[in-house]
Amino acid sequence: MLEIVALIGLGIFAGAIAASLGLGGGIIFVPALVVFFGLDQHIAQGTSLAVIFPTAIVATVAHSRMGNVRWRLAIPIGAAGIAGAVLGAQIALRLDANLLRRMFGVFLLLLAVRMAWRTWRINDGPESESDPS
Amino acid sequence: MNTALVKAIALGAIAGTVAGLFGVGGGVIVVPGLVLWLAVSQREASGTSTATIVASSAAAMVAFGIVGNVDWSSAGLILIGSVIGAWGGAWIAERINERVLALTFAVVLAVAGIRMVV
Repeated sequence: MLEIVALIGLGIFAGAIAASLGLGGGIIFVPALVVFFGLDQHIAQGTSLAVIFPTAIVATVAHSRMGNVRWRLAIPIGAAGIAGAVLGAQIALRLDANLLRRMFGVFLLLLAVRMAWRTWRINDGPESESDPS
Repeated sequence: MNTALVKAIALGAIAGTVAGLFGVGGGVIVVPGLVLWLAVSQREASGTSTATIVASSAAAMVAFGIVGNVDWSSAGLILIGSVIGAWGGAWIAERINERVLALTFAVVLAVAGIRMVV
């Protein structure tokens, strides 16, 4: 029962972060499932993807209605993305869970640094719109 | 082939590989890629990125799922929560300083990252 509440709570937190900061859920789901729920790295990643997929469908419908999807770009990116995802998943599935977890940790640290750097820079002045990366 | 198409395919291949490798959507790569490489506005980049995530997350989910690496009941519960959270998040976003939120979240990510590395 406690775990059910905690999993829904994780979803609420991730959904709120996604809606307020525009960040995807996987960055939150995977570490939370590994660190707090003790899931194996591979299962955490697979479970994360199973949440992301339906969420992305709903979000795409909403964005598309507002005319914010450039399909001429989305289709080739998505098609190449399928090939890349299959390759990436095959690599992940062949890696030891501990090694994959450490690699994910490095990936998170890089994202954290990028995010902090971006936020500081935006703080410095309003002229940052030329490079919103 | 025109350059935009080549760039789009390259961007998709890179983002998809990261998505499959780490079980994430890949938006952290597609959004800046669209803005910096393909001169798409931030808003259209978010929308376009979301559409590409449908494809890459489906492919990676199937790859993990067929070898039993998806906990479907946990995924369902998280999904219920994130629907609620998405409503709450929009409410929070209007009331909190985005920079404070972003910096706090960056610290949370860094702490989680360190815990996973060591």
